Amino acid sequence: DMEQNNSLPPFQGLASPQGAMTPGIPIFSPMMPYGSGLTPQPVTNTNSLSLLEEQHRQQQQQQASTQQGGVSGGSGQTPQLYHSQTVTTTTLPGNTPLYTTTPLTPMTPITPATPASESSGIVPQLQNIVSTVNLGCKLDLKTIALRARNAEYNPKRFAAVIMRIREPRTTALIFSSGKMVCTGAKSEEQSRLAARKYARVVQKLGFPAKFLDFKIQNMVGSCDVKFPIRLEGLVLTHQQFSSYEPELFPGLIYRMIKPRIVLLIFVSGKVVLTGAKVRGEIYEAFENIYPILKGFRKTT
Amino acid sequence: MVGTAPFPCRTTDYLFLTQCEGWISQNAVYFNHVWLAIMYHFLQTGIHRVRALCRILRLTFLMEETAETHFKQAYEHPNFIRVSLQKKEVLAGCCVLATCRQHSWPIAMGTICCLLEANPRLIGVVYQEMVKTLKIEAPPTSIINLLETHCQAYKLSPQHVHEELSESSKDLTKRAAVLLELAADAWLVTGRQPIPILTASIFLAWQSLKPTQTRLKYTLARFCQMAKVTKSSIAPKRVTELKEVLCKLGQELPWLRGDEVTPQTVIQMVDDILNHRLTLLRRALSSHEEALASESVLPPSLEDSIPGSHTNTTCLEGAVSSQTPGQTPKDPFVGEPDTVSVQQQGDVDLTCTVVMEGLPHTGPGTDSQHSQPSVPNSGKRSLFEPPSVRYAKIRRVLVPVVEVTGDEEISDSEIDSYIRTPQEIRDYVEAKEALASSDDEF
Repeated sequence: DMEQNNSLPPFQGLASPQGAMTPGIPIFSPMMPYGSGLTPQPVTNTNSLSLLEEQHRQQQQQQASTQQGGVSGGSGQTPQLYHSQTVTTTTLPGNTPLYTTTPLTPMTPITPATPASESSGIVPQLQNIVSTVNLGCKLDLKTIALRARNAEYNPKRFAAVIMRIREPRTTALIFSSGKMVCTGAKSEEQSRLAARKYARVVQKLGFPAKFLDFKIQNMVGSCDVKFPIRLEGLVLTHQQFSSYEPELFPGLIYRMIKPRIVLLIFVSGKVVLTGAKVRGEIYEAFENIYPILKGFRKTT
Repeated sequence: MVGTAPFPCRTTDYLFLTQCEGWISQNAVYFNHVWLAIMYHFLQTGIHRVRALCRILRLTFLMEETAETHFKQAYEHPNFIRVSLQKKEVLAGCCVLATCRQHSWPIAMGTICCLLEANPRLIGVVYQEMVKTLKIEAPPTSIINLLETHCQAYKLSPQHVHEELSESSKDLTKRAAVLLELAADAWLVTGRQPIPILTASIFLAWQSLKPTQTRLKYTLARFCQMAKVTKSSIAPKRVTELKEVLCKLGQELPWLRGDEVTPQTVIQMVDDILNHRLTLLRRALSSHEEALASESVLPPSLEDSIPGSHTNTTCLEGAVSSQTPGQTPKDPFVGEPDTVSVQQQGDVDLTCTVVMEGLPHTGPGTDSQHSQPSVPNSGKRSLFEPPSVRYAKIRRVLVPVVEVTGDEEISDSEIDSYIRTPQEIRDYVEAKEALASSDDEF
């Protein structure tokens, strides 16, 4: 990576003359595959898309004067793209995109006002538990790698022994300090059992291993809401919590504050929840997000 | 007196500079002021880079100032002051990107990648860190806003190509916008890279504006070569998908009288399809519902037992509700382009039509007390569905989760199965030595 930056950055010598803000000729005209163009112009109301946008704006004005709240029976409405459950829409400042939404639900996903009777009925499944434990003694990793069947150790690549057991099907990273990380279990109890087994293996290899400060560090769950989701709409209404960059990743990254959970939401309706220390946080986070996702289930 | 840490050797300029940073910070007591001077130098370099980017992209003076402010704030923040020079270079581009988004200036992240010749992942990481650090809100650019600027990159004016193949940017953008909206309705846009779908929309727009044999013979690759844009490996798939959507709608054109619409013949009908898009969508949805209804009928007892499910009636609001019993299921085809008044007659829900649940069963690995029936994704039963739903990956067979307490007895035999026997250890050492010696020979 450093080699790439060996030469001077490509912008040297490209500074425009003093006072020239918009050069008359393009200074830099590569084939830019990502479409910024040499003359990018923000979308205005008078551009060539005005026909569709004009229709859309008229729809917004009509909706603002018609019924409020909830999803109407559809009369007087036109197909709305990335629309939430509301009928009123607002345009973003300086922009009149075709896909507009309006937040009906509060912007904070902390505890949406969802009565208990409207529980989703979907229970996220735990997929991975990461835990740590202190074996309480220094370890000779070369000895462990030599004498254990299920161990691999490549100090040039990583400074820990990678050990695996069959049941529970897990992987452990064992460090020379005596600290150990256990991953791959499907429940907290399985993770604890697996960590104990690894500790027993290390004991059998001749080290005075203990089992100190076992702690669940991270829990990952997943579920499926069974309907497709308009991610573009969700990122507009929950901007401060969402990150949706389809150029980088197909899912929307939702950082919930309470509980402090990160959700990966995909267009198919599949949701991954991670960052929990207890499983209740996973369930709570899903119950918080479900009504929000339902709002983006339909295009109207 | 200078500290005892060895002075970095001058190998490459970049390596030298980064090692200088490290060396100086180790001797901070003596070189604190030198370090500050170097940091100030890099800050100025970064600001120049920001200005250059703004001028290349022809941003306004206000946007340039905003980008500079963002860069200064980010650079001096503890999260960025000690990052690598490479990240600081990328930070400049990220500040420009954030500024463009705040001012609704359509620009793709890929453009910044291209200008900086940086890894898109690195730009993504730095951008998200920067936005979080500075607590700024930069709404992502809508794909429809990117379309116009993307169109301008295509050299299709009469001075670039033959008159028969030329097309004005305005007409192209207009037609491509409608195609793009149709693609978005049909779930071809969400969760996917924007550039290939933009390329596909523009290509089909170009073909459909003048569907002559000459244009229809052009492949996407040849079109990109002619228009002097970079070919995308994904765009051909988007063209195929978009054509499938157009075929589904084209099938509903009444004057075809049941003739099949193929991807090869659909381009000539794009004009009609787009002009009557909404009506065709409604008709297509109605046909689809009828087809689904005739496939199976759900017993009434199961309709209400499935959580979150819908009954046999459609979720298609408006389009069906506007019909009273006794009317023919399909809307009468007016034959005129959809107008605002026609659009107001009903909205079209493309994501949720008839949801026909299967029989409930408990899948393996379910750790909930109440068994959930296997409810198919509602997108699967609709006319249009996200491709990730239609072509879902085959799931691994889940092994039943064994309930444990975590405090079970661990048998010695199980642990012994993970320990090598003395003979195995000897064999392993011999094999390792043999491998090491054979490596030395080579």
